Amino acid sequence: MTTINPPIPGTFWDRSRHSFVVMMRRDGFGLIALVFLILVILGPLYSVVLWAFAEKWKYPSLVPTQFGLSYWHETFSRADIASALPFSIILALTVTGLSALICIPASYAFARMRFRGRQLLLLSFLATNAFPRFGLYVSIAVIFFRLNLIGTVPGVILIQLVNTLLLMIWIPTAAFQGVDRSLEEAALDVGASPIRVFIQITLPMVMPALSAAVLLTFVNTFYEAQGALIVGLPRVVTMPVLMYSLINSQLVVQYGAIVSFVLWLPSLLLLLMAQRLLRGGYLTAGFGV
Amino acid sequence: MTTLPKNNSSPRQWFRGSLLPYVMIAPPLLLMGLLIFVPALQSIIRTLLVDVNGESGFSLSRYTAFFSDSISVSNLLFTFQIVLLTLFTIFLVCFPLSLYLRFAKGRVAGLVQVLVLFPLFVPGIILCYALIRFLGTRGTLESVLNIVGVTGYRTPYLKPEAIVIGLVWESIPFTVLVLTAGLGQISDSLIESAQDVGAGNWTIFRKIILPLIIRPLLIVFSLNFLGIFGSYTVPYLLGPAAPQMMGVYMQQTFGQYRRPDEAETQAVITFIICSMVGLLYVRTVAKQRIQQEDAT
Repeated sequence: MTTINPPIPGTFWDRSRHSFVVMMRRDGFGLIALVFLILVILGPLYSVVLWAFAEKWKYPSLVPTQFGLSYWHETFSRADIASALPFSIILALTVTGLSALICIPASYAFARMRFRGRQLLLLSFLATNAFPRFGLYVSIAVIFFRLNLIGTVPGVILIQLVNTLLLMIWIPTAAFQGVDRSLEEAALDVGASPIRVFIQITLPMVMPALSAAVLLTFVNTFYEAQGALIVGLPRVVTMPVLMYSLINSQLVVQYGAIVSFVLWLPSLLLLLMAQRLLRGGYLTAGFGV
Repeated sequence: MTTLPKNNSSPRQWFRGSLLPYVMIAPPLLLMGLLIFVPALQSIIRTLLVDVNGESGFSLSRYTAFFSDSISVSNLLFTFQIVLLTLFTIFLVCFPLSLYLRFAKGRVAGLVQVLVLFPLFVPGIILCYALIRFLGTRGTLESVLNIVGVTGYRTPYLKPEAIVIGLVWESIPFTVLVLTAGLGQISDSLIESAQDVGAGNWTIFRKIILPLIIRPLLIVFSLNFLGIFGSYTVPYLLGPAAPQMMGVYMQQTFGQYRRPDEAETQAVITFIICSMVGLLYVRTVAKQRIQQEDAT
């Protein structure tokens, strides 16, 4: 066998392992992964963001042939968009508020009280994830159909509320469980009332987790399209549902791009908090992990 | 520990001791029961009953109708194909990335992590629109290829491949997060000591890493399986008009053709197929959860 420079002793496998280690040390894999991810993850988003600010974009130019904002005015003067956007925001706020109202007391009970079946009932919320989602929606829609809830706002609120349960219960439960009890006991010992202890000691400690849960729920609900589509149409049209028709009819490319860009803004808020959400383990909690 | 209510305790104490927690957890539990278990059970029962001369009796006719219809069967098979292909691709993309993120440090690794998490902040419907503009005919990708001199690009848009691309794109963050977290529980010292006694990379992977990440792997497999089987937006917007995935098919049957009974049968068929995977998911997470509780 010919010698390889620099000569490395050992078998073929040792040598290839060595070169693999060297490559890993120089982070060759990381660089390949990075280029791949930039192309695959950022490539599609690049197209949408630039289309939103394009006046004209002729193939095969890599950037719009002419930038401009004239389509923004046109997009938001469309009656369907002008009414769906505020409605979607109010709907998402309502669902998030209702979800917090019913779930946070429940999560306090799950975390701090002892009762029979606690563990089993807490785990039962995993059922929200254990069905093929669209099949479940059809099943719900068939019942709503008979109850005349199709095409009504309460119907849409109910179907979206189910989606929020797991996240709104599991994140706050973990947070309440993580509270240091000795602080509360110390406050009780010096004569603070239980309500005061809850407001001044417990609540500040769980606040980061609660706000993460509320924010994640709001964003998820704001983008929820499938439940709203099957239960809401034809009378209740949210912004994401409107996107289906904007994409399918392909009227003007810019409409879809501008709506996508605007819809994406709440998500940017989450992105800014990504580090905090990640450290708290909140991002996976919604999946029941 | 709990002190169960004694007989001599006042009604007020009894309420606070044993009734209050149930009152507090009742609203979300009821909601879940009414909107998940009741519809699912009712659909299963209803699809097994058929009206004959005003009397309802047990019958499998709705299911035989489904399985004797060639469009229904081809849609179901198509869904299976997409699920398997997507799961395979997810694993192919995400496993190396997770291993890399577990062991690599430095700036490149930091950037890779940011990009991997990025799809989490892109809602499905925007992703679809973005992919159409990127992959579609005369889209950004074709422009780039054109500039480097590659011609004859054929877009995957409206083909099964586009569904796989969209579904993989969506599931990257969750899959990598769960796998990386699982790999993170394997300490460096454990691997180093295995290397000290002469274990090779493959042996370390098979004997140490794999057994410790079985649970994350099962979670990733089951949730992705359910997610893909129950998907609608991506196959509807990116996939072909025929064959359709079950989600698209159900929506069409329910929304367009207004045949709730048939849509219900289709839904129950997806429940049955996914039930084993759903149970696997619940069991895996439940075990993990109980172990964590015991540890604290």
